[in-house]
Amino acid sequence: MKQKNRKKTNITPYLFIAPQIILFCIFFLIPAGMGVFAAFTKWDIFSPEMPTFVGLANFKEILFNAESTYYRFFRTGFTNTLIFVVLAVPLCIVLPLLMALAIHKKPFGHKFFQSLFYMPTVLSISTVILIWYYMFNKNLGLINNFFHLKTNWLGKQPTAWFAIVLVTVWWTIGTNMVIYIAALNGVSQDILEAASVDGASSTRKFFSIVLPSIRNQLSYTVVLTTVAQFNIYGQPLMLTSGGPNNSTNVLLMVIRDLAFPSFGGKSISGLASAMALMLGIVMIAIALLQYRFVGDE
Amino acid sequence: MKKKTSIGKTIAFVFCLVFAIIWLAPLAQSLMTSLKAEKEIKMSGYSFFPQTFTFESYTDLFSTRSDSTPILKWFLNSLLTSTAATLLVLVISSTSAYAYARMEFKGRNLLFGILMATMIFPSIINLIPLYKICAALHMINTKWALILPGASGAFNIFLIRQFMLGIPKELDEAAKIDGASSLQIFTRIILPLCAPVLTVVAMFAFTGSWNDFLWPTLVISNVDKMTITPGMQILKGTYDVYPSHAMAGGIVSVLPTFILFLFAQKYFIKGMQLQSAVKG
Repeated sequence: MKQKNRKKTNITPYLFIAPQIILFCIFFLIPAGMGVFAAFTKWDIFSPEMPTFVGLANFKEILFNAESTYYRFFRTGFTNTLIFVVLAVPLCIVLPLLMALAIHKKPFGHKFFQSLFYMPTVLSISTVILIWYYMFNKNLGLINNFFHLKTNWLGKQPTAWFAIVLVTVWWTIGTNMVIYIAALNGVSQDILEAASVDGASSTRKFFSIVLPSIRNQLSYTVVLTTVAQFNIYGQPLMLTSGGPNNSTNVLLMVIRDLAFPSFGGKSISGLASAMALMLGIVMIAIALLQYRFVGDE
Repeated sequence: MKKKTSIGKTIAFVFCLVFAIIWLAPLAQSLMTSLKAEKEIKMSGYSFFPQTFTFESYTDLFSTRSDSTPILKWFLNSLLTSTAATLLVLVISSTSAYAYARMEFKGRNLLFGILMATMIFPSIINLIPLYKICAALHMINTKWALILPGASGAFNIFLIRQFMLGIPKELDEAAKIDGASSLQIFTRIILPLCAPVLTVVAMFAFTGSWNDFLWPTLVISNVDKMTITPGMQILKGTYDVYPSHAMAGGIVSVLPTFILFLFAQKYFIKGMQLQSAVKG
């Protein structure tokens, strides 16, 4: 009897974690393993055939075979993604920090401003683009009409990147802003007052006290924002369709088109998986870099 | 000193006001456009406000027999999948969080460690095989493909477990002495106390599912089974030269998450700040 009771208490915890573990294995662990493996295979996911192992051939093809179309696809996609990350990330850090500093001063209406700046983050990318696409409309858009322009924003560079970055900033920075607001509330008032007594200027106080105090949240948001922006997909897909001249055709669009061709073409999932793995490694490297930084201090 | 703070406040206010205008402009413009008649836009070109307000585009969108943009169906599909996904997330995350927070079992720390470590894994790597698995399980063009794969996220477990660790153990022990089972302790004592963190998890699960864009476009090809977020891409193409209809569709598509935000924004904001506090 005693033995039986003990057994029963031993199995309960596993029953509690079982549903999650089962879903986790089927929909995360297995596909993750397959995803890494697929990068070393030739594979058409729409055919019943199993993937064939090809070693490093996919990586050679996309990284070194300058004659290959896939080499060009990968290069263009990766370069465009990188351009976007470099353009968007600094804005997605600095602007919300400025907003947080302004709101932290508690001006008239600061609660309203905080809600308003955060609000777009609950909207879907497709609706955000639907709305902004019309803002950039050449004849009927608010932007051209307000500034009395006739600019074809989405059809040429660098305005196409400008549009994509602007929409991204509008859509996403609320998250970082509320994190910074919480961080600023945690900055020691005593130290700030002591510095004021010693005659430190606002700028000095900001760089010597405020910034160091919130550096954990800063490094967290820098990593999270960078990794998130590497996933850019919906903005160029729906705003510019990757144009003009493929200049905004980002890597996720390339991967999607290769693995899931739109007009019944052959799925080139092995190569696409190799590209996905390369992108994934870059993201993991960035995230690990943060642990190093935090670990160092 | 006093004067200096008021100058700072004024600068902060002006700064916020400028950005508030930029933040409001696209929303206001789309709302106004959705309340115009298509004819008015064609005839008189750009104006911010409609000359005459009309719900024509809304009624048209909902009543039209057009098979290519069944927006009401999309909306209901989204409502159903997002609600189901949220409930599933709540159940499986809270039960496993409870086990990791309150129970002793072999392999607990190892399992929890693995779960936490996977959070760093970029989802782009498993996207393609995930499709293959859903196809093998005959889930393509069904709601299951939208509900099940996203439900096992490890971060929710982490958040709920952290919260549970803050609940005094004496409560469980007292209940145990009274003869309550683990399940009873979980449902009667722990879960009610976890309401705040469960609300946060539920809201992020709902909006996350509602706003999911890339994945549904892969697993749902049947227009009638589509959800509203990928539906907006179709709407944008179909009503390219009918901006009032397009904007009306956009307004409809954001209503649930927008309303959720209006009533529960403090939970959204708390949730974000909680995440940065534990991860930062």
